[in-house]
Amino acid sequence: MSGLTTIGKSVVRVDALEKATGKAIYCADVVLPGMLYVKVLRCPHPHARIARIDAAMARNLPGVVFVATGEHAPAKKLGSIIYDEDVITKDIARAIGAPIAAVAAESLDIAEEAVALIDVEYEKLPALFDPEESVRANPPVVIHPDLAKYEVGVPHYYRLDPERPNVFMHYKVRHGDVDKAFKSADIVLENKFTTGRVQHCALERHVTVARPESDGGVTVWLSNQCAQARRADLCRLFDIKPSKVRVVQPYLGGGFGGKAIMREEAIAVLLALRSGRPVKLELSREEVFFRGGTRPRLIITIKDGARKDGTLVAREMTVILAAGGSAESNIASVVRNCSFAAVGTYKVANFKWDSYGVYLNDPIANPFRGFGNTQVAFAIESQMNMLAEKLGLSPVEIREKNLLREGDINATGEITHSIGAAACLRRVLKEIDYGRPAQSSGKWVHGKGFGLANKYSLAPSASSATVKLTEDGDIILYHGSSELGQGCDTVMAQIAAEEFETSVDRVKIAYSDSLYMPYDFGTISSRVTYHMGNAVKLACEDAKRQICERGSAIMEVPAAELEVRRGRIYRKGGSKEGVPLSQLFAGYGPNRYGSYLAGGDIIGKATFIQDFTPEDVQTGQIDHKPAAGGLRLNAFYAHTARAVEVAVNVETGVIRVLKVAGADDMGQPINPKMVEQQQDGGIGTAIGLAIMEEVKLEQGNVLNPNWTDYRFPTAAEMPKVADFKTYIEAAPHKDGPYGAKGFSEGAMMGIDSAVANAVYEAIGVRLLDLPLNAERVLEAIKRKKG
Amino acid sequence: MMKRIVKLRVNGVDHEVLVEPWRSLAEVLREELKLTGTKVSCNTGNCGSCTVIMNGKAVRSCLVLAPKAQGAEILTIEGLAGEDGALHPLQDAFIEHFAIQCGYCTPGMIMASKSILDESPDVGEDELREKLRGNLCRCTGYKKIVEAVLAARDKMYRGAE
Repeated sequence: MSGLTTIGKSVVRVDALEKATGKAIYCADVVLPGMLYVKVLRCPHPHARIARIDAAMARNLPGVVFVATGEHAPAKKLGSIIYDEDVITKDIARAIGAPIAAVAAESLDIAEEAVALIDVEYEKLPALFDPEESVRANPPVVIHPDLAKYEVGVPHYYRLDPERPNVFMHYKVRHGDVDKAFKSADIVLENKFTTGRVQHCALERHVTVARPESDGGVTVWLSNQCAQARRADLCRLFDIKPSKVRVVQPYLGGGFGGKAIMREEAIAVLLALRSGRPVKLELSREEVFFRGGTRPRLIITIKDGARKDGTLVAREMTVILAAGGSAESNIASVVRNCSFAAVGTYKVANFKWDSYGVYLNDPIANPFRGFGNTQVAFAIESQMNMLAEKLGLSPVEIREKNLLREGDINATGEITHSIGAAACLRRVLKEIDYGRPAQSSGKWVHGKGFGLANKYSLAPSASSATVKLTEDGDIILYHGSSELGQGCDTVMAQIAAEEFETSVDRVKIAYSDSLYMPYDFGTISSRVTYHMGNAVKLACEDAKRQICERGSAIMEVPAAELEVRRGRIYRKGGSKEGVPLSQLFAGYGPNRYGSYLAGGDIIGKATFIQDFTPEDVQTGQIDHKPAAGGLRLNAFYAHTARAVEVAVNVETGVIRVLKVAGADDMGQPINPKMVEQQQDGGIGTAIGLAIMEEVKLEQGNVLNPNWTDYRFPTAAEMPKVADFKTYIEAAPHKDGPYGAKGFSEGAMMGIDSAVANAVYEAIGVRLLDLPLNAERVLEAIKRKKG
Repeated sequence: MMKRIVKLRVNGVDHEVLVEPWRSLAEVLREELKLTGTKVSCNTGNCGSCTVIMNGKAVRSCLVLAPKAQGAEILTIEGLAGEDGALHPLQDAFIEHFAIQCGYCTPGMIMASKSILDESPDVGEDELREKLRGNLCRCTGYKKIVEAVLAARDKMYRGAE
């Protein structure tokens, strides 16, 4: 885009200096006068009824201020869409780690000692750990017998399956007629894929500090990606008015989807309100594995029908999502939304989709950077290669044949817009020199592979922003999105700087505090650059309009003929030197009295709403008419391609990713170096998820809940700098700020399938189960040898 | 168990703290001395977020018991910049090379990198990656961290601008 001054420039991150000097404040750094420390007693059984609980000894321990058990917990339950879990278990615990009691004490040592003194007698109940058993019409255990009676948050996404008692959501897409199309297909191919549990492993654990206020309200410092949503949750749970729940959000030390839900924050608030003292609750690393959430296991089947020329005529998919004892935000954001991985990249004339979210007696599972789309894309991109091979086509040909193009109707009825998939694919193929065989050496056999993916961003949702002019013409920007490390504070500062044609150092980002922060839906679904970016842009326009009105009086020129840039008001097209913004404040002693301004403060505000048209519950389709009018199911789709060269050790089964090329379509890049940050980090994490990481579950217990046993990549497992290349292939979006889209989740996609396809090229074994760890590779090699 | 007095010098300032002997150096720094720049993430010595320099060597402060720091000279992220406020070349490089995202690993990563460069001014990419194995980051894929440390090396030891 031409004429931009700051957008598209790699300005230094606004948070970098604080973070490089140790001055940045995170929730764990917050200490308040009189603060107590909280420890939670957790259920050791996957499914159990509390037969008796006696906390008298804990209450009598010196230094203990309050012990909360289920009887103190709010009557309302926690959840997202379906409220299905007590803040502290009242009767039945449905997972190991479920909170049974919580102690607030003068020190963490005392709280831990007190927890050990609580005497609980459990009645163990039969438990269920197999998702394929749980999804049945007659499962051996019904985990929530009263499921149909639970309070519901968002009715549109409430889709129980009356036939299947453990299913908390059944999502359907019906497009065309797959049965008929399969009959006309030249070949039909069906495969089943599975993906294991993995953990977000944000470096910062989940922390909450809660302070009771004299007016009956509460102030909460929290490490959560959706501060405003948590405020609403707390109002609902504790029946406190919105004006009295204040949520303050310091920097987050990573989120990746693992801090997007309300969970143990409520325990801290409960204890603050009950004890009358500020409290701090910080999960241990082990607790994060049980209660911080993990990416759910998925079982994905794909049945494809194709013509000899590679045209995909039918695709039928079934997905079972293995949740824990509570549904969490899997309901809409994963069970429903992982379907978009299957509709946003390829044109499939006949498409049938059924996804089921099922309860199990496992620890909670929740979204992880991609809302299930990563895993669905892994299955599809593996399947595409298998289909190509069966048809005698190259993996590139089959994709080029079936990729959605601008203007195509996708399998939900949306009209495709802003699709850089083909450009991303071409770029990574070139950079990895795809087609030229990799050179192997000894027991290390090399292969190349690639994978595509798309990542939708949700609709409908809204973001609001406020900008305030200071007396020296600088801008204070209030936006309610969370800086989790992805760089939204810098992106928003760049947008405000662009609008005022000024430099980023003249934009001050306000600390996130719900007392003055305008509304934001949440820092999820790669939505912030697009949604909040639009809101900031509009709020700046509003402020500039007000400035021009004030300037009109000073300059004696109609406001419509004025414009604001570089800290001054200019006559449009005029060559004369403009009036500095500070002059609006002149004559009122700015040095003595601050910012008093004739006519009052200049505060620009705006809300950006991405509307949608809802899908039909039975078919997942949107109506043609609103679609033609520009409405859609999702805000936008970002596109991703990844290509890798791997080496497989045929003696040990170990995979090494030697080279990687990644290309992403995020529309107009706001800050190219920060785009690279997302690409680098997305790829880095994805390599771990593809080849090494898995939360090991046994009878509902996590066997490796620490970083000694759950390993994720170090610098030594990454390709070298020269072999780790990323590219921007922008397809600007008509509704994005300057054409920008969000893509931080998409950046983590495509590596798993690229590695699986490369392993196949290297050693001729097809792995359908993630992670592709050494044991699995070795077993597959042995199987192939027979 | 009785609390003990631990005397230590942190960022050039002498301190005396009275702590239980099972307290870690990380807790002393963060809770007693309010130096919260040092982060604790895993608390089991795997991640390196709490890395500080003790008597010239990088240590994981979550694994160092407070009495073991008796009489020690400690350098934390807060003490890394010069007295004139000028940033250490590693801090500059982490900022300029976009090696910082969420920032939680950053203090430990910078302190570990300082120790690596102090001991191996000629460190190359492969060796650096091996030596950084004890410092985990989930945001960056390590690429820009490696670039930043090598750029700081060039500035400190090879006369690069």
